[in-house]
Amino acid sequence: MADLLSSAIVQTVLAGAALLGAISGMLGAFAVLRRQSLLGDALAHAALPGVCLGFLIAGARDLGTIMAGAFLTGALAALAMMLITRRTTLKTDAALGIVLSVFFAVGVVLLTYVQRQGRTASAGLETFLFGQAAAILRADLWIMGGVGLVALAVVLALWKEFKLVSFDAEFARANGFPVLALEAALTMLVALAIVVGLQLVGVVLMVALLIAPAAAARQWTRSLGGMVLLSALIGALSGAGGAFASAAQRGLATGPVVVLTATLIVLISLALAPERGLLWQALAARRARARISDRRVLATLQGLAEAHDNRHYPAESGMLKTALGAMPRAERLAGLEARGFIRPVTHPPETTPHWELTRAGHREADRLTRKTRDEEQGQ
Amino acid sequence: MSDIQTSDTRKDEALHEPGQALHVEDLTVAYGAVTALWDIDLDIPPGVMCAIVGPNGSGKSTLLKTALGLVKPVAGHVRFLGRPVRQMRGQIGYVPQRQSVDWDFPITAREVVEMGLYRSLGWLRRPDAQTRARAMKALSELGMQDYASRQISQLSGGQQQRVFIARALVQDAPILILDEPMAGVDASTEAIIIALLKRLRDEGRTIIVVHHDLTTVQSYFDWLVMMNVRVIAQGPIREVYTPENLRATYGRQLAMIAPPAGGRDG
Repeated sequence: MADLLSSAIVQTVLAGAALLGAISGMLGAFAVLRRQSLLGDALAHAALPGVCLGFLIAGARDLGTIMAGAFLTGALAALAMMLITRRTTLKTDAALGIVLSVFFAVGVVLLTYVQRQGRTASAGLETFLFGQAAAILRADLWIMGGVGLVALAVVLALWKEFKLVSFDAEFARANGFPVLALEAALTMLVALAIVVGLQLVGVVLMVALLIAPAAAARQWTRSLGGMVLLSALIGALSGAGGAFASAAQRGLATGPVVVLTATLIVLISLALAPERGLLWQALAARRARARISDRRVLATLQGLAEAHDNRHYPAESGMLKTALGAMPRAERLAGLEARGFIRPVTHPPETTPHWELTRAGHREADRLTRKTRDEEQGQ
Repeated sequence: MSDIQTSDTRKDEALHEPGQALHVEDLTVAYGAVTALWDIDLDIPPGVMCAIVGPNGSGKSTLLKTALGLVKPVAGHVRFLGRPVRQMRGQIGYVPQRQSVDWDFPITAREVVEMGLYRSLGWLRRPDAQTRARAMKALSELGMQDYASRQISQLSGGQQQRVFIARALVQDAPILILDEPMAGVDASTEAIIIALLKRLRDEGRTIIVVHHDLTTVQSYFDWLVMMNVRVIAQGPIREVYTPENLRATYGRQLAMIAPPAGGRDG
């Protein structure tokens, strides 16, 4: 493993993959929040014809030309989709489906045409379908780094405008912001992220590299800044992880490994994240149920005490069950006893267990009653 | 079409009906083949608290959106204090319908309110301490100061609505436009919102509200626009809120709605 990491080629590949993951993670956060995840999918598939055209024009596998071509057809697809949704009665999902499949079909036709020509340099072109990190060259790093810096600079410069447009575009328009231009800028940035990510993940799976880091990051953070930053980090981690696995096992397609890495992070985040995670929510629901059960027990005991004008009224277990509709769980009663709110008493000649409210229990019941009332009013 | 545009450009040069907070003339809006607004003529004077009422689909929200320049009319024009809306950006506080945004967006209540100040900050400038202070002040006017750093997803419907109103309030605009601010909020929030709006009106601002609850319209508002694609009636609420106008606006299914009561005034 140490040998692998010290190799210059592997270093290049890892750096490139991490960079690509970071760029798509950062921009994917905005796409996810604007509910445009699937737009990314259409743009990615639409990049394929551009890749082939770029290759045909350059006559070789020149990354600059290929990226320019991919960006061009991606932008064309975005434009086509905007026109379809605005000018026809088709809904967004139908427009997405049409644009995605038509552009991808053209791309595959072009790809087979290029390969039919039998030029040796065209051999690597199909790696754009599923990505191949090993194909990243040192010179490519400069292009990727440049694209990353441009994207970062635009996001930082237009931070509050992007935030506003992503949250409430209508309010932004009412305030005179050039919303169409800002939305176009965000879409173009996503297209840019896709274009640089193609080498790593390929057109088919590129959308996962946009969505997965953002979806995972959303689970852990409460601010837009935190989400964008974390999304970039998760993207970088997935990219590097996938590239490493691909380098260690030659021939393993990078894209799927990257996507699986990112998916693993998403699953962990969905399960474990505080507040939003499934585990946390299940525990919180359990705690809430226990709290409510305790409140009801105390309130019932207090109600019985007041009804009998006896602060130490011993309530029989069966009465609690009747009043609450079900017997509270033994561990809840034991917990209340441990906290000194209730105590078990005997009430001869009856032999069944009885409970009475202690002085602290009365205070706690009063406090909870007030709290319940405040909560109801607070809403 | 070109005829309208030339007359429009000419009117941009000088103030047109500057005595009205909102002046709408010959406004017609269509979505495809459906006419949403037909030949609307409207004047709302400054300093009133005006309700816009009408049945579902009567074009209330469309009227607001067209006035704000969010929807393009087929014909007609709109002036705020004599000026077209694009010269009034930042001087009109707008509260969209609460359901129009994603409340799971990762952002705090205070950050939402700060958005009301983004325009005045200008490009490239970040919200600073002064921005934060003004946002806090707007939140406390709605009793929301304790919720400033809460995630908006953790707020109740009424609290979310108050955050939305604080975002418009912070702009300190002479005209406030609210789209169904009382929809789905609790009674205490409604009381807070109305008290605030009345105070803003008493400061001389113009408040324009799309309202859906006819049982409260007389006690809350002093000016009324009744519409159903066309304007049915407009003016001081005591003159306009009559059984005939209600019937003309809502048709026959109206029997259960509050009858006009004399003397109750906002």
